[in-house]
Amino acid sequence: MLTYLLRRLALALATTAAVVIITFALVHLAPGEPFLAGAEGRFVPPETVARLRERFGLDRPLAVQFVRYAGNLASGDFGESFARHRPVAEVLAEALPNTLLLGGAALVLSLLLGIGLGMAQAARAGTWADAALGTVALACYSVPSFWLGLMLLLVFGEWLHWLPVTGMADVALRAPVGALHHALDVGRHLVLPALTLALVNGAAVARFHRAAMIEALDADFVRAARSRGLGEGRVLVRHALRSALAPAITLAGLSIPALLTGSVLVESVFGWPGLGRVAYEAIFARDYNVITAVAVVAGVLVALGNLLADLGVAAADPRVRRA
Amino acid sequence: MRLTAFACALAIALAGCARREAGGSAGPTGGTLVIVATGDADVLFPPSGAVTTSADVAGLVFSRLADLTFDLNTVDDAGFTPQLARSWEHADSTTLVFHLDPRARWHDGAPVRAADVAFTFDVYRDTLVDSRFRPNLDAIDSVTVRDSLTAVFHFRRWYPEELYDATYHMKVLPRHLLDTIPRARLASSAFARAPVGSGPFRFVRWEAGATIEVAADTANFLGRPKLDRVIWRIVPDLGSAVGALVAGEGDAIEVIPPAELRARVRATPALRLVPFAANAVAYVAFNLTGRGGKGVHPIFGDRDVRRALAMGIDRATLVRSLFGAEGEVPVGATARAQWIWSDSIRQLPYDTAAARRLLEARGWRPGPGGVRWKGGLPLRFTLLYPTTSRIRQDAAVLLQAQLKPLGVDLRLQPLEFTLFEQRSVRKDFDATFQARTLDASPASVLQLFGSEGVRQSNYGSYRSAAFDSLTRRAIAAPTRDAARPLWREALGALNDDAPAVFLLSPPMAAAVHRRFAGVRIRPDEWLAGVAAWFVPPGDRLPRDR
Amino acid sequence: MRALRGGWLRFRSQRVAVAAGLLIALLALAAAFAPLVAPADPLAQPDPVALQNQPPSAEHLLGTDRFSRDVLSRLLYGARVSLGVGAAAAALAVTIGALVGLAAGLGSPATDQILMRSVDVALALPRVFLILLVLALWENAPAGVVVLLIAVTGWFQTSRVVRALVLRLRESEFVQAARALGTGRPGLVRRHLLPHLAPAIIVSATLDVGNIILLESGLSYLGLGIKPPAPSWGNMIQDGKDQLFTAPWVAAAPGLALLITVVAFNLFGDGLQAALGPRRRR
Repeated sequence: MLTYLLRRLALALATTAAVVIITFALVHLAPGEPFLAGAEGRFVPPETVARLRERFGLDRPLAVQFVRYAGNLASGDFGESFARHRPVAEVLAEALPNTLLLGGAALVLSLLLGIGLGMAQAARAGTWADAALGTVALACYSVPSFWLGLMLLLVFGEWLHWLPVTGMADVALRAPVGALHHALDVGRHLVLPALTLALVNGAAVARFHRAAMIEALDADFVRAARSRGLGEGRVLVRHALRSALAPAITLAGLSIPALLTGSVLVESVFGWPGLGRVAYEAIFARDYNVITAVAVVAGVLVALGNLLADLGVAAADPRVRRA
Repeated sequence: MRLTAFACALAIALAGCARREAGGSAGPTGGTLVIVATGDADVLFPPSGAVTTSADVAGLVFSRLADLTFDLNTVDDAGFTPQLARSWEHADSTTLVFHLDPRARWHDGAPVRAADVAFTFDVYRDTLVDSRFRPNLDAIDSVTVRDSLTAVFHFRRWYPEELYDATYHMKVLPRHLLDTIPRARLASSAFARAPVGSGPFRFVRWEAGATIEVAADTANFLGRPKLDRVIWRIVPDLGSAVGALVAGEGDAIEVIPPAELRARVRATPALRLVPFAANAVAYVAFNLTGRGGKGVHPIFGDRDVRRALAMGIDRATLVRSLFGAEGEVPVGATARAQWIWSDSIRQLPYDTAAARRLLEARGWRPGPGGVRWKGGLPLRFTLLYPTTSRIRQDAAVLLQAQLKPLGVDLRLQPLEFTLFEQRSVRKDFDATFQARTLDASPASVLQLFGSEGVRQSNYGSYRSAAFDSLTRRAIAAPTRDAARPLWREALGALNDDAPAVFLLSPPMAAAVHRRFAGVRIRPDEWLAGVAAWFVPPGDRLPRDR
Repeated sequence: MRALRGGWLRFRSQRVAVAAGLLIALLALAAAFAPLVAPADPLAQPDPVALQNQPPSAEHLLGTDRFSRDVLSRLLYGARVSLGVGAAAAALAVTIGALVGLAAGLGSPATDQILMRSVDVALALPRVFLILLVLALWENAPAGVVVLLIAVTGWFQTSRVVRALVLRLRESEFVQAARALGTGRPGLVRRHLLPHLAPAIIVSATLDVGNIILLESGLSYLGLGIKPPAPSWGNMIQDGKDQLFTAPWVAAAPGLALLITVVAFNLFGDGLQAALGPRRRR
């Protein structure tokens, strides 16, 4: 178990390193000047640009810059954001929790939706109900997430006025805001964006889980349980579910990249102040340090997600541990 | 337990009532304005803030020595109203003396002194701060302190807009809070994220990417603003921002360019559109030189070809299609918000027949592919525009379709913004689709089309001694009435030479919730009059209380 | 060959998948012959003021957009982009994946380890983020670059599947026999391995197309994919999203087209997988 864990950790580190190197190279090799981004409608003299380049060390050779950056990274210094005039670590520290909240809620929701749907389909495998549910799942899986988000916003936000339309919280609340009140407020704002991500991801989980459940329901030990007279419900939940759960957890872990990238579009539509939005703006503002930092964070999250998924599977299934 | 709660509630209610009466000014105070902004602020340090939201917030938290009035008269002294300075006089043609109001205070209680003004000038001019307003202050030689309440501005030479330059560009900064911070670190200091100013509102909080809040400065020497709070809600996508407004999650937004979104606001009974004079103009600038600024451009070096293209563009249809009925065709290198605007400025007419004749006369004959040719060269060129501007992208698409029947093959080249800037500055383009929010002062047009601007914003390298001299004379005219005819002539001459085609001036209309009264919008700073906005007690919403 | 024929028979019995396949064929034909099928020029603007945002009518079956362009024609030409980019990128991606998988499966253990560890790392790269980065920072990229980027960042899963198959097939009897007879590696690959790999590769490609189409539409929605005035379903949604109330057909048509197409590809791929995939052992 320990060697397995160490190997996976080494892989996670290698992954992060690769992400950093690739992003750093891409960003610094791209044509265009970083300090012109805030210049809409006015002229920025070349001397100013040269001065700023020197200040941020962009006039040194690329390899030197990278070594300096890597060294800083190792000690937790992500550099300074050109556009926001503050340490990148602060920018990340503000945005990351919001994205994690959204991603986490979407993940949980998609697992619930997906496993629930998959189980419901597996129990009725082959019937028209199965086909109908499957089509709904497929439709959710095939629709662009930004489109789905816009539709949900239209229906629940504007037509029905059930849920807030933008942002993470009600900005006009007067301080001090009670913790419970704040949590409920954020929760209400979380529903639509998390649902958008969860519907798309949950459909994938459902497809996967249905297949896994059907396979599990057909296995020998389940048939044995049935022959012992156990009710279908118990068979479903106790026996089949456990062995089908591991692939579902793996899929959940592997969904993390999709959730992260989906969050760029969803955060844009719903005005959710998360990392996806920060990354998008940083790319257009050529905020090198922020872009690279986001790539690092994304790489780490993905590697962690894979690691956790693998560990979850290994914990659940002893055969894997020895592999 | 319940008794204590009741007692607390009673105390709070009483305190609230007391607060309102102590305001001093007559009229109902209270109310919360929630502004929906499509971009977050970058820094709240006035010399460095580069985005609109930063400028909006800084405008409420900081003050100037004197401010423009609603008619944006930048030339006459009567066009300015006292703020931190109670009065001023021109000691001689290059000296301007300001007398500060002794009641003026910073939000931390310290008094505003002339030393703050001198310090402010020093900071704005410092290359380590690299303020974007530095070029605007070129004409000011120095600012000295005569005594604690008197600041003296020394100019390099006389010109009519001395008062404008001395007051408009700089927001006065608190020396006692900033002079110990290294200049290069001012923009990244704690102050830049939690500013202390002397304006009608004081800073409360800033949650990055989400919201900024300011609250009324009840002890302000000019009288407290009527509203209690102004809160910005940041929603990056314009469609979602308008959706927030329509759903009642916001009260106001500065401008909504697309006609369809404006229609949504009109369809919402609780909102109303408050139009104000347009202050921006978008134009297609032709490169008169070859790529890189050398030689003569094979197509645009010819004045008649440029005039033909300008005459071949149906600007009225373009504007109507993009902006609906409120769209207005620009008259030249100006916008309605500027006092030099006049509909009697000479413009080229929309006349496709004349355009065709002119092109034929210059040797551009119809050839294969429906494109005109001359000496083996097709009438084909590329228009650069930034991907960040939806309006310019739409206009470019319309333009392409309009020029096709004329035999012009217009290619579109969207570029990411910094690449767009780079190529424009390096003159590596045929035509570039620029947009400028114009200053209240018309003098900036020299930067765009004067010979002195060729190394800077005059991307097309247009040089005309006639235009230069007309503009200079107009700038030096002592009164607006004397200046107006000169400006008309200058802008008319510019239109005649057609170094650019002035295509769009997006109609400006703020969407504001109907419960706000006393709303007046100043075109250069839409929130300049917000201290006077109020909400009648009977119309208040829960968030106003 | 017999395996494929058996697969065809099984596939034919899955009516939904067959219907999906027919739909895809229809879409492909409509896209390929768009210049003949489309009622109007997708770029033509008859009257950008009077005819903008017109609801569906006899003359414009799906209405007009804000520049008075015919939505149906743009939809058909946009199909060329979406289906073209989807098919090309998927084909390229599975080709790269298959080649890498073959190399890993047939090569030495060292090669295998290096390749597969690289795949593990590459799978963790934030795909959309990197594509966004490249498209945003470099100058206006033509559609070919978009295809290349999508393909180069999306072959990893295929390589894993192919490698697993190759490893299994390597030990099978007929391969051992061929080797004993002295068949060189290329011949081995061509005659013995490819027929068995083909089903998996085809399934992989088909299921990929749906995702790629969605990816391209997302990129165009963010303004980074196909640039105007050329239509793509993604940039049509971007064009129409501000008019959902006043002119919903402008964004609804491409949105629905996307949905139907991706569903069709997924159903088709599922059917292929059921027909051609590994049989469950009983």
